Amino acid sequence: MDIFTIATWLMTGGLLAFSMFKDKEKTKEALKKALFMGKGMALSIFSVIFAIGLILALLPPNQIADLISTQNVFVATIAAAAFGTITLIPAFIAFPLIGTLANAGVGVMPAVAFLTTLTMVGVVTFPLEKKAFGTKFAITRNALSFIFAIIIAGIMGVII
Amino acid sequence: MSKAIAFIKGNLFVIVIAVAYLGLSSISPSIGGLGVKSSLYYIKEMLMIMPVIFVLTALLDTWVSKETITKFLGKEAKAKGVMFSFLLGSISAGPIYAAFPICTMLHKKGVPIRNIVIILSSWAVVKIPMLLNEAKFLGFKFMIARWVLTVLAITIFATITDKLVKNRDLPQFTSVKNSGVSINRESCMGCTICTKTYPKMFSMESKKAILNQQDEVDMTLLKSAIKACPVMAIEFR
Repeated sequence: MDIFTIATWLMTGGLLAFSMFKDKEKTKEALKKALFMGKGMALSIFSVIFAIGLILALLPPNQIADLISTQNVFVATIAAAAFGTITLIPAFIAFPLIGTLANAGVGVMPAVAFLTTLTMVGVVTFPLEKKAFGTKFAITRNALSFIFAIIIAGIMGVII
Repeated sequence: MSKAIAFIKGNLFVIVIAVAYLGLSSISPSIGGLGVKSSLYYIKEMLMIMPVIFVLTALLDTWVSKETITKFLGKEAKAKGVMFSFLLGSISAGPIYAAFPICTMLHKKGVPIRNIVIILSSWAVVKIPMLLNEAKFLGFKFMIARWVLTVLAITIFATITDKLVKNRDLPQFTSVKNSGVSINRESCMGCTICTKTYPKMFSMESKKAILNQQDEVDMTLLKSAIKACPVMAIEFR
């Protein structure tokens, strides 16, 4: 657990104790609401997680990185950005991969594009986002994030 | 029969994933097994953060007033609102979907779409443990340059999203003022049961249920409408 996760637990624990002390009925209502929220999202979260597992099994990240690093810089940047959108990789796998991309001779652009879309754009988390904010919001946010990821990669390629 | 169709419609994604696993495992059991194995890591990550996020969201929803939230994150907060949105996103924990319940609650309390996009996006990218990792693998200069560009980009596209997407495009917006009733338009499949149960409150617009503005809510009728809805799209809080 990283420090922010621990902090979230501690803060919630403190808030819960305070809430209990102030108003038991309201706290019960809140906990019921939390349970209801969890129930509403549980099935979707599990299917998103299993979708990620499936994608990682079908497209092993190392192989993709190797493939990308042999392309020319523009193809590699777009391909890296596209690959970043379809998956969601934990940081300890992602950073060594990005290191591979950055040192492969195609420059930093593909690495930046990958790193940015990896976290900001989510094709697999799209169903969850759509459920929470509606189709138009989810499409707009993801599409703009993708475009700006490419722009950021381009600028980084020039200044680094 | 119509219930079966509603079930398939409501759980299409789940069914697709299940079928994909079954199909893949019958062709190549090793790939299917690998998929399950890597999913376990994410399940652990999810269980570490999601339960606490739900409790935190519900508690904040109960105790923090709309006025307090809009003071820091509302439209009137302007640049201060943008700053607080980045701060909130950066000190957060967990993957991007952990931000969804919190942001839904904040939007209901009057936080504009621009700040919602900032919170969501910085929740995903501007993570302090991640930045440290980035500096380690790619160098400090790289990390700072990308961080500055990312914050700028998020501010720009959050403003664009705010122009393109209106409040009414979001599912939680269809709520009668202050009554606490809302319809999730994404799940609504236009069965018209609610309009038959409580015609004064619900009517149909482009094949989806909408709420009519009114002063009083008949709780008995509302409760039976909530119960009758086959996809549980009506919420009351």
